[in-house]
Amino acid sequence: MAEVRTPALRLTPSRAYWTCQLVGWGAYGLARFYAAVLFIPTSWVRLAAEILALHAAALGITHGLRWIATRGRWKSLRLPGLVLRIVASSALAAIPISVATTFMAVDALNNAPIVDAQGKVIMGEGSSPAYRTGVQVVNWTVTFAGWFVLYFVISRLREQQAARLRESELARALQLAELKVLKSQLNPHFLFNSLNTVRSLISSDPSRAQDAVTHLANTLRYTLNSSQDELVTLAQELEIVSDYLEHERARFEERLTTAFEVSPDALGVRIPVMLLQTVVENAIKHGVGELPSGGCVRVRAEVTDGVLALAVANPRPAPPASGTRAGLGLKNAAERLRLLFGGRASIDLDLSVPGVATARIRIPTTP
Amino acid sequence: MKAIIVDDEAPARRELRRLLAEFSWLEIVGEVGSIADAAAQIDRLAPDLVFLDIQMPGGSGFDLLAQLEHVPRVIFTTAHDEHALRAFEVNALDYLLKPIDPRRLSGALARLKGATTPRAPQAEGALEQLFVRDGPRCWFVPLREVRLLTSDGNYVRLSWGRQQPMVGRALAAIEQRLDPKKFFRANRRQIINLDFVESVDLGIGGALHVQLRDGPEIEISRRQARLFRQQTTV
Repeated sequence: MAEVRTPALRLTPSRAYWTCQLVGWGAYGLARFYAAVLFIPTSWVRLAAEILALHAAALGITHGLRWIATRGRWKSLRLPGLVLRIVASSALAAIPISVATTFMAVDALNNAPIVDAQGKVIMGEGSSPAYRTGVQVVNWTVTFAGWFVLYFVISRLREQQAARLRESELARALQLAELKVLKSQLNPHFLFNSLNTVRSLISSDPSRAQDAVTHLANTLRYTLNSSQDELVTLAQELEIVSDYLEHERARFEERLTTAFEVSPDALGVRIPVMLLQTVVENAIKHGVGELPSGGCVRVRAEVTDGVLALAVANPRPAPPASGTRAGLGLKNAAERLRLLFGGRASIDLDLSVPGVATARIRIPTTP
Repeated sequence: MKAIIVDDEAPARRELRRLLAEFSWLEIVGEVGSIADAAAQIDRLAPDLVFLDIQMPGGSGFDLLAQLEHVPRVIFTTAHDEHALRAFEVNALDYLLKPIDPRRLSGALARLKGATTPRAPQAEGALEQLFVRDGPRCWFVPLREVRLLTSDGNYVRLSWGRQQPMVGRALAAIEQRLDPKKFFRANRRQIINLDFVESVDLGIGGALHVQLRDGPEIEISRRQARLFRQQTTV
């Protein structure tokens, strides 16, 4: 992450940087060595030693230049300022290595005597050391400036590639999270059991099968269309809860009964979408559905002192069948309430009465 | 063939019964909606086959199987618990996803019919298979493939292929239900499957040493050795 926040200040270079440096200077050195052996009448050992020394020095110098460029955040500069700095620093860095080159045999690569068709020397031969050093300075300045261009182009490309990779990874993680939420919202166990119920009803009671399909469709549509931060009136939420319960009654038959006690002034209060629905689903999944003889799910809603109090009570098996999962659903609901209402809303599960679970939700009537 | 349907949802039981109507060789002798009732009904009616829902109030279908004295053949039915069936590591078993596809149902029943016919006749009332749950893993262990049962504290270790699953019962309790023509009490702690006996050697003081195929050498105590000779004419 540190790399993401301060790309210009990355002082420790990557492996790729060292690979490029070694391969680049090595290849350039080999090419010069080949040319030197062809044109300069000196032992190849001497030429090899000189080129090796020069290119090792050049590698060191460019590494120093990189350090200066990194510290000075050159990557964030505009083009004219950047060009100016590249040329100036390259020229300065070129001076010492150029002087050294002038005293070497390989100097002849740049300062070779140029001979015309008659064998008469036109230029190069016998030129003064100062002149030859000048040629070397120009040569090394161009080399270092070229190095800078390559360096900036390559590092820019690498940064872009890394950014693209991060972006696609982020998008993938986001999609996975969305998919997970969607899957849990669809509640596959409920869905497939419901379809099984419908299949059974088609032959035994076609008109109830039709009703069941309608209830199932309503439940699914509501689930899929709702988003985490949406608020709906209690009346809207109760409509879908009763659709859902209607459908579960078709599955559980006489094992499931329901009772609603809702005071009229509570109906208009806005609550997070799917909150009551999730609590009622849990009441069936972990309560009534776990009891062979079933039981009654009671939903109560009333408003006192500007607070909506919702309570869902259901019978449960003596030890909570799967406390961890119920706990997770409750934690998610509590987190949603905290995000939407701060500390003014709450949800808790009361298991103090043996055989009964009561979920209590408190939500302010004014958001 | 007698079958029983175990599912807590009445519409699901009706649907399966309707689907099974066309298989005249299968007689549905009962349907139950809870684990407790199912255990009693299975012991009373002794069905050959159970259609078993995995997620049930008051425990899973696996809990039911672990309670049973006599485990019939099982076809699991489930809405969305395929992952639960991964507990079964070795033996392939049949499961049907709800809503049940009639073609898959007839496929499962055909396989079942094919698997039951060429069996060697069993002694009346003898145990054919054990349901074993060892940690997170489950097996249906066909007893004719078990070469050795060893008592180990309150458990019995089954030597079955390369597996050694443990059953939470007393050796004597299992012995009562084993086919006496096939299984022999070798000593206080061990029962061997006679089909797996490879060779028999005379030991010291009248005891016998039995070499089991793929398995260890077992000592038959002096007291049991005479019985062994009579039974196997060694």
